[in-house]
Amino acid sequence: MTTTGGFEPVFCTIVPPHVLDRLAQADDPALAGPARRTLQRDAYERTQRRLTTVVGAPAAAPLAEAEAGKPRRTVYDARHGTGLPGEKVRGEGDEPGKDATVNRAYAGLGATFELFLTAYARDSIDGNGLPLDATVHYDRDYNNAFWNGEQMVFGDGDGEIFLDFTLPIDVIGHELAHGVTQYTANLTYFGQPGALNESMSDVFGALIKQYSLGQTASEADWLIGAGLLAPRVTGTALRSMKEPGTAYDDDVLGKDPQPATMDGYVRTGRDNGGVHINSGIPNHAFYLAATTLGGHAWERAGQVWYDVLTGGELKQDALFTDFATLTVRAARARYGEGEELLAVTKAWERVGVRTL
Amino acid sequence: MRIQVRRTGGFAGIERQAEVDTSGRADAPEWHALAERVMAAGRGTPPAGVPDGFSYRITVDGRSVYCADPGLTEEQRTLIRGVLKEGA
Repeated sequence: MTTTGGFEPVFCTIVPPHVLDRLAQADDPALAGPARRTLQRDAYERTQRRLTTVVGAPAAAPLAEAEAGKPRRTVYDARHGTGLPGEKVRGEGDEPGKDATVNRAYAGLGATFELFLTAYARDSIDGNGLPLDATVHYDRDYNNAFWNGEQMVFGDGDGEIFLDFTLPIDVIGHELAHGVTQYTANLTYFGQPGALNESMSDVFGALIKQYSLGQTASEADWLIGAGLLAPRVTGTALRSMKEPGTAYDDDVLGKDPQPATMDGYVRTGRDNGGVHINSGIPNHAFYLAATTLGGHAWERAGQVWYDVLTGGELKQDALFTDFATLTVRAARARYGEGEELLAVTKAWERVGVRTL
Repeated sequence: MRIQVRRTGGFAGIERQAEVDTSGRADAPEWHALAERVMAAGRGTPPAGVPDGFSYRITVDGRSVYCADPGLTEEQRTLIRGVLKEGA
């Protein structure tokens, strides 16, 4: 494969314009253009989020009139630009508008808020009523969604590989759950603690989807990002908690690399030490515990996971076995020597993670 | 000179890889100059990233350096954009 294009005179103080011009001649705008813009915008946004991570998330400053236990959502439209937050298009309590993307974002933020409040008595991401802001139609052909430490941002996708990132509600939940983790255990984003960080986001993203659909553990698809892949891609989703490694197998994307058990644990330096790869193992453990217990997964299995994430004992550099051990303790603390304890213990056994 | 870029991470966690072989290219000197600056400024081990940010390995003639969003230099970013091609 030889690719040569992709240069834009954005950094012309570094690369001479004539170099940019020449290199741009072999460009493939259909694919390289969207990729290029995504990379550019990501760099800026990640910087913003990194700053938030480094200096700590800003303390929530609830408005005087803010009512505990009520979401405060605002959806903004970037109008395909990159200024944040963009133009306000829907505030809390406003009627739905004509833009389905805006309405999905609003509903997704609401579902996330509602799950954390009703299931775990958590008032928003920080536990203290943090306003939930989202910007949609960010940039053009933008292939990502993220929480920059202060708000959600959704790209429309390039239509070639990814569609609108507001389509799967679990994507909204996944990114907001990174915020919950940041405000609680603050798991280091590398290696096993990083894979646990990713798994927390997949677990609560999936629970938000199940909660919004009223599904039981046996009814749920346990997929992350279902409906996000463009029609030409051979795959059903980005990850499967039920069968890690089976979400996609495509000429362009390759094959879903996730292992389901420690036998398939991937030692790698890429992807921050395989955080999106080895997360399949704790993801599958949660799936096993939840489906063994049956019923609504957010109620017992979800409660145990939430207790560990927010309980104060989970260290930033926790390994799988540390997390697993804490879930066993949390199950016993909350439910005694019952089926919850057994389901959690067996789940970790089946994925090959030792509990102490 | 073979310039390879491998990108991992992002929300999807999907790997992307592409390369440019500069031999015989009219613009090879510009590629070489850019690649040499990137290699000189690069680090030999992967840096810690941020949630769902991209991580990169840049390999030139068998030697690799690593970088990750949001800590890219503008030269790294320029080279990555030039080599990487999504969906290709």
